[in-house]
Amino acid sequence: MTAEAPPAEVVDKVPEPAPPSGVRAWMSRHPLAAYAVRRFGLYLVELWGALTIAFFFFRLMPGDPIQTLIQSLQQNYIYNQQASAEIIARYRAEFGLDGNIFSQYLVYMKKLILHGDLGPSLISYPTPAQDVILRSLPWTIGLLGISAVLAWILGVVFGAIAGWRRGKLGSRIMTNLSIALSHVPFFFVALILVYVFAYTLGWLPARSAYDSNINPGFSLDFIASLLKYGLLPGLSIVVIGTFSWILSTRMLMVPVLGEDYLVYAEAKGLKPWRILTRYALRNCYLPQITAFGISLGFIFNGNVLVEQLFNYPGLGTTLVTAIQQLDFNTIMGVTDIAIFSVLTAVLLLDLLLPLLDPRVKYWK
Amino acid sequence: MRILTAVLRTIRNSPKLAIGLAILLVMVLVAIFSPLIVKGIGGSTDPLELAAYERWLVPGPDHLLGTDQFGRDVLAMVVSALSVSLQIGAIAGLISTVVGVIVAFVAGYKGGWIDGVLSTFTGILLVIPTFPLLIALSAYAKNVSLFQVGVMISIFSWPFAAKTIRAQVLSLRSRPYVDLARVSKARDLEIIATELLPNLLPFIGVGFASSALGAIFGLVGLEVIGLGPGGVIDLGQIIFNAINTGALTLGAWPMFVVPIVLLTLLFAALNMVNIGLEEVYNPRLRGVAGE
Repeated sequence: MTAEAPPAEVVDKVPEPAPPSGVRAWMSRHPLAAYAVRRFGLYLVELWGALTIAFFFFRLMPGDPIQTLIQSLQQNYIYNQQASAEIIARYRAEFGLDGNIFSQYLVYMKKLILHGDLGPSLISYPTPAQDVILRSLPWTIGLLGISAVLAWILGVVFGAIAGWRRGKLGSRIMTNLSIALSHVPFFFVALILVYVFAYTLGWLPARSAYDSNINPGFSLDFIASLLKYGLLPGLSIVVIGTFSWILSTRMLMVPVLGEDYLVYAEAKGLKPWRILTRYALRNCYLPQITAFGISLGFIFNGNVLVEQLFNYPGLGTTLVTAIQQLDFNTIMGVTDIAIFSVLTAVLLLDLLLPLLDPRVKYWK
Repeated sequence: MRILTAVLRTIRNSPKLAIGLAILLVMVLVAIFSPLIVKGIGGSTDPLELAAYERWLVPGPDHLLGTDQFGRDVLAMVVSALSVSLQIGAIAGLISTVVGVIVAFVAGYKGGWIDGVLSTFTGILLVIPTFPLLIALSAYAKNVSLFQVGVMISIFSWPFAAKTIRAQVLSLRSRPYVDLARVSKARDLEIIATELLPNLLPFIGVGFASSALGAIFGLVGLEVIGLGPGGVIDLGQIIFNAINTGALTLGAWPMFVVPIVLLTLLFAALNMVNIGLEEVYNPRLRGVAGE
């Protein structure tokens, strides 16, 4: 080979610093805002992707909800003739099941995004699916939200203590208990709690969300009843959640304890409690905030089972009822709400992190 | 031979790994010989047949764990259900590990936009609640085979394996010996098979154990609320029957307690193997995860 013209890619590699355009200049002047915009863009992509996956997943499954509806109408003697093609076509249009799958997709997304409309539900036709879901949403938010946050706080606190006092008997017991129990499914604990407290001891109720003899309202009786009925389902989420947070916090804590700045803090004569809370713990709970967001989807999965086992009137129970009746719009609605809440929670926590942790620099 | 001694040495050095493997081994043996055990329990009659015995017999010398609402021997049912649960774990664990490994290698090794797309997709599947999808899927699966159930569950469990392994591929990719292989003109597949894969085996093992565990409990979860695919009797199905028929009030507590104890044992064993493997190959964890 003789020396010829240099290969094309070498020419391309000549550095050519582009003059900063308006957008770039703005981004470098406002790094935090630029990060927020980028993160929000990623959120939109994720949201769209997840909703699309869910849509096609449900639509490509075999099963015809309209046939099911007609059948259930026939079974209830509301409609005791063979459904005419016209009626079927009308139902199809109403449920958004006419046309090919892509036009169905466009119609569904348009209605969802512009109007927040999930289409009519089947389990309580003709109530729209979003109304059915909104009715059960507060129960799930109350049960899941409180238990998840409580588990996180307890887990981080005890995990930090377990790491701080590592080698001591109490800490070792706690750690080994966490190893054994941290990944046990929620429903498992729920079953055992029901067996012990509701069945054997009869202390606490195992079904429903409140005493049906008490009128729902803002009264002391009702709140007491809510707490009493929510204790077992909540506990099954809190127990397992706490153990898994203990384990992961401890794993973050132990390496921090070897850092030089802790030795320095000790040499300065700071009280151990102050070192733990101001120096060591701060390095552990921040990564745990991100982890909390990521764990929400997993917690929701477990929550579906817990709600169903306790007959708690939340999203999980609605979902299971909807699935038993092949109510597509409600099933998809619950999935969409769950996707939306989890992704939004992760987004908010991510945006919050730079404010809580001055070291976090996402921008480049 | 050298591999075998290495494995034995690893097991000897980690009591967690040894105990976990021992429990697993016993369970697998019970599962493999479950047809024989069932036969041994029943003698001339098939103890799994409907109305083989009287209904709701309390535990006694003839029926160690009593009989259920259809007059089936609970011990025989538990033994065969254990075998079903383990098979589901093996099938789903294998599939999701293989898919996870492939995705992880393609993403981690190739990098660039392929990695971007695959990682975003994996990330979405990891974060979104997939349980509704799984419930819906199983609602349609009437009378499916064991293998199909395994495939179904593995659809949702491969992202976990993919994520862990990808991170390892990323860190291994830039090691000097990989560069050396690349400089000596080894093909991508060759590098992956001879340089990367052997170093990733422990992580693949961990991935398999956790996917298998996830699959078994995923199915049990479906069965416990009575939404499992039809035609598969695993341990969850027995628990569901126990709850649904009020077995506890009829004195048939083994129907409820024994499957739970077995699942807890299985869970503890796989978890111990997991933590044991992680500790063996990541000595830094030894002080952290254990005592």
